[in-house]
Amino acid sequence: MEVSHSIKERTIAENSLVILLQGLHGQVTTVDLRDESTATGRITNVDAFMNVRLAEVTFTDRQGTVSHLDELFVTGRNVRYVHIPDEVDIRATIERQLQAIHRVRFFGGRDKGRKEFPRAKHK
Amino acid sequence: MSFLKRFPPPAEGVRHQQPDTEAVLAGRGLGAGTLYIAESRLSWLDNSGLGFSLDYPTISLHAVSRDLNAYPWEHLYVMVNAKFEEDDAKEAPMAEGEEEEDDSDDDIEPIAEFRFVPSDKSALEAMFSAMCECQALHPDPEDEDSDNDYEGEEYDVEAHDGMEVDIAPAVAGQFEDAEVDH
Repeated sequence: MEVSHSIKERTIAENSLVILLQGLHGQVTTVDLRDESTATGRITNVDAFMNVRLAEVTFTDRQGTVSHLDELFVTGRNVRYVHIPDEVDIRATIERQLQAIHRVRFFGGRDKGRKEFPRAKHK
Repeated sequence: MSFLKRFPPPAEGVRHQQPDTEAVLAGRGLGAGTLYIAESRLSWLDNSGLGFSLDYPTISLHAVSRDLNAYPWEHLYVMVNAKFEEDDAKEAPMAEGEEEEDDSDDDIEPIAEFRFVPSDKSALEAMFSAMCECQALHPDPEDEDSDNDYEGEEYDVEAHDGMEVDIAPAVAGQFEDAEVDH
């Protein structure tokens, strides 16, 4: 469970579906790029800006030429689609990531440590 | 190569520097030089001091390629969303149309493919990681889709120690009147 060290990034992730992509660490996934090329590989990192880092990648460029890349970093701007693997339970993944963020946020107990947000009045 | 210019190597924020690295643009070798992966931009300078810089916002992706079937040397591949003219009108056309080769299907999106081939292949990991770090420093300013516009205070936890930052209830309260039907 990887949670960003940056408060800003955690806030962004918590409030967008990037959090789902972050829950896919370690999963083999296909990313369609803006220029119609595709990259299939194991997700090693997704940050709040949807920059995606993949390992062991099969890359098909827009002409259809296939090559293999050890590691690939795609900027969020150039990601068109991420194919969520069928076996991923989307809701559970999101909830797990939210829990990980909350554990970091409330580190030290309810009234100790740094508070990024006050306790929610409503659950 | 008319886009090559003379400039001093970056002095600040250089996360990684790789000497003895060949730069290749669209299959054409530009010679040996040093690659500077700096926080502000990616620069390459050949041994005579001529080179070019790439701004991170123009870099679509970068990768480590060890697939010798695709390209005969292990290298750092960088795809740039920009046009690089290899020759301007004054010079005799060399590989004319070469820069068009890769994007003949695509008039909308200019793409330039750079390969940086270090003589020290073991440096590729470090080069890749340094680029990832620098790229992350330049998030897309045009990203209007996402609601990344949070009212400032929640980032400054230290500054507002003890002060009630009344954000969460507003967010939680948003859904008060939603249908809870599941």
